Amino acid sequence: MTILRLVLFGWLLLLYVPGAGAQTVVSGQVTDSQGGEPLAGVYVIWGKASGTTTDTEGFYSFAGNPGKIPVEFRFIGYKSRTEIVNITAGETVVLNVELEPEAQFLDQVVVSADRMEQKRSDLTVSMDVIRSDYLYRTHITDAQELITKTPGIEVLDGQVSIRGGSGFSYGVGSRVLALIDGLPMMSPDAGGIKWNFLPLENLSQVEIIKGASSVLYGSSALNGIINFRTADASNIPVTSFFTEVGIYGNPPNIAWKWWDIPRLSGHASFSHLQKFGNTDLGLGVNLSSDMGYRKYNDESMGRVSVRIKHHSTRNQGLKYGINLSGGKSYKTDFVLWEDALTGGLKQDTSTVSRFHGYYFSADPFVSFGKRDKVRHDFRMRLQTSENRFPVRSANNAGSVSLYGEYQFWYSFSDHFSITTGFSETWSIITSDFFGDHRGLNLAGFAQAELRPVNRLKVTGGVRVEQNILDGEPDRLVPVFRTGLNYQAAEHTFLRASFGQGYRYPSIAEKHASTTLGSVRIFPNLLVQPESGWSSEAGVMQGFMIGRFRGEGDLSVFLSQNRDMIEYVFGPHNDPGSNTSGVGFKASNVEYSRIYGTELEFLLGRQIGKMTATVAGGYTYINPIEISAYTGKSKGLYLKYRRKHTARLSITAASDRLEAGIDMYARSEILDIDNVFLKIETRDLIMPGFYDYWLQHNRPYFLMDGNLSCRLNQSLKLSLAVRNITNTEYMGRPGDIQPHRNFSLRLSGKF
Amino acid sequence: MKKILFLLLPGILLLAASCGKDKQSERFELLTAHVWTSDSLLADGADASGTGGILEKFKGDVTFREDGTGTFGQYNGTWAFVDEETNLAIDSPDLPFTLTTHIVELKTTSLKVTLTYPGVTLIAVRMTFKPK
Repeated sequence: MTILRLVLFGWLLLLYVPGAGAQTVVSGQVTDSQGGEPLAGVYVIWGKASGTTTDTEGFYSFAGNPGKIPVEFRFIGYKSRTEIVNITAGETVVLNVELEPEAQFLDQVVVSADRMEQKRSDLTVSMDVIRSDYLYRTHITDAQELITKTPGIEVLDGQVSIRGGSGFSYGVGSRVLALIDGLPMMSPDAGGIKWNFLPLENLSQVEIIKGASSVLYGSSALNGIINFRTADASNIPVTSFFTEVGIYGNPPNIAWKWWDIPRLSGHASFSHLQKFGNTDLGLGVNLSSDMGYRKYNDESMGRVSVRIKHHSTRNQGLKYGINLSGGKSYKTDFVLWEDALTGGLKQDTSTVSRFHGYYFSADPFVSFGKRDKVRHDFRMRLQTSENRFPVRSANNAGSVSLYGEYQFWYSFSDHFSITTGFSETWSIITSDFFGDHRGLNLAGFAQAELRPVNRLKVTGGVRVEQNILDGEPDRLVPVFRTGLNYQAAEHTFLRASFGQGYRYPSIAEKHASTTLGSVRIFPNLLVQPESGWSSEAGVMQGFMIGRFRGEGDLSVFLSQNRDMIEYVFGPHNDPGSNTSGVGFKASNVEYSRIYGTELEFLLGRQIGKMTATVAGGYTYINPIEISAYTGKSKGLYLKYRRKHTARLSITAASDRLEAGIDMYARSEILDIDNVFLKIETRDLIMPGFYDYWLQHNRPYFLMDGNLSCRLNQSLKLSLAVRNITNTEYMGRPGDIQPHRNFSLRLSGKF
Repeated sequence: MKKILFLLLPGILLLAASCGKDKQSERFELLTAHVWTSDSLLADGADASGTGGILEKFKGDVTFREDGTGTFGQYNGTWAFVDEETNLAIDSPDLPFTLTTHIVELKTTSLKVTLTYPGVTLIAVRMTFKPK
């Protein structure tokens, strides 16, 4: 039957391929080497720019020209394999291949940890990798939601906290640096992440370093980095799209339902990746509109990206190109709710504002490398962004920034290599909110990787950086890092690391002066950079037991920060207007120490034609405030942190059906700003919040589910339900999170 | 195992080096050297330390301990220098918010701080302390 099928398929191919008379058919079946099951969807790549995938029975077939050609077989979770096929004219070649499973994801290639490609198992620091299939399976279209569902991380209304490294300050002055393909993607004024313009429609994976990363990435990477890596074109052109409609259900507290017509959302996305000769092209478009489940909190946005990369044929190893990205968003946003009893989903209209955001970036790059010996990378990002408030024009702000970076890597031998380089960021901010400012940031960095003995890797690095704002140089900051990785057994990797971090205050923290409803924000020209360090020891264990494959990662960590910038509520003076009042002002008031442990695991098994995976993680932290003068605990918890977070995901996928359940649990928030709790201020700021807080600041459990059905080779229909248990829970004070909602998606890949 | 411990040594040494206690500033030494006692507590130029006055609870001894905790009259809480030691932040569970006071004078013989306190109108507060 199999032979008949192959022959018939081959003849059909001959009939349909123009000029196929001169070609020969290569065909075969790809199977699992352990269980013998056929593998569907394996990439079969031959020659320089040709490829196909195996069908549901693992069969493939292609027509090739006579001669010796390499044929490569690639499949996630299996070791890639290349066979040389000698084709002679008129001959049919049958090439059946068995792929060998590998320990799950240990060989996954990442780039963020040392600014170079390496296996995850080789890292000296903790890194989480979110693969794009998770994003598509769960229907996540918001980058904040994607990140906050990662073990040990929480995003509170735009503010990312990795292992408790940050509290909450409305996204201003992020201690976590967001990158797109290694280039910073932050607003130069507020120092926050531009969440709306992260290219989720064209991701290969997201890499998250959990710990101080300033040596590699500079200020803002005090608490870690999130690198959104876009997908490259492969030999096989790939076009993917989805269109989705969503609806919010009823809130658990039915008295809070304020709408008469259903609250809907819609999303559409398109991506195309293709090689044209030696040029890679990538296109991405995303459109979305969300009516929102809260009154005065709707959003519409669109973004477009174009990626062009050319591989020089004249100079082997030379690549150059440009990535362009742009977008617009229209949003109604709020700061404080109206009242807890009459509607936590209704907002205080005095804090509501209509907001138009614009973004554009152009990233030219040139890279030249001789394989395994030397590499030069020169990259730039010209970024412009603008925030327009049609009603509150006093809050308008615009910025232009130019980031440039040169990086040099040289390998002296298999045992020793160095990476060094420098970067600059030049920015102009024009704002009625922050004032007009010019910034310049200069940095130089160097790191070395040493492999003194087999299985051992030691890294060390230093960075010196200076920030100059409006011609006033800040202090020159040198920071250091070191780490090691030791392969104790075939699938056992030990690691330890220490890294220093720092962050210059953002322009918003220094200069923002505004009023939002009853809340006033004061500038603080004296606010100083914050700094700290983090250390970690961990073990990564991969395993294959029978048909089970997987990995586990256990780490313990300790970090300490000084002069942490927090917004302090109280009576303050505005030196600009020489007026006083009550409100928030950024101040270096906090010293902190956080220790904890984290366990993450992934387990997979092939059961007949079905693949089942179980993945999860648990993070424990003890975040305490310490005395600036003795280093001893003050007996206070850091604000907006939780001690326990956990996640468990279970998926099962067959040829036609895929189902998944994702469960999340978090313990209560340990402490928040006194302004929300003190009798003198709490009702002034947020009516009804204090009682709500007492009753609802509890641990919570969430469950998301999804089910998809493959309609044919290319199309898939899927349903996702978020917050199945319809749990009522809150992020930062007054920010009630989405209740149960549904989305139906038609997606395609061809 | 010994080999692994040896390899971890650089990191541990760096960690230990980072934990070292900072040398304290002159202002820190001056502030923590004494137990202070209130000398004058003025609100808009008038004494506000009497019964019912807004500064009543600041009357008495004030101690700035070296570990960042302290007693401020009847308040127990924490203190910290901020804004390049030009300001002194005082916090207590019994205060409605953090009081960020401006240091007008800090000498061995005198501590003077000012702040604007919110009331029906903003009140200019000036507090002077002397060593006990």
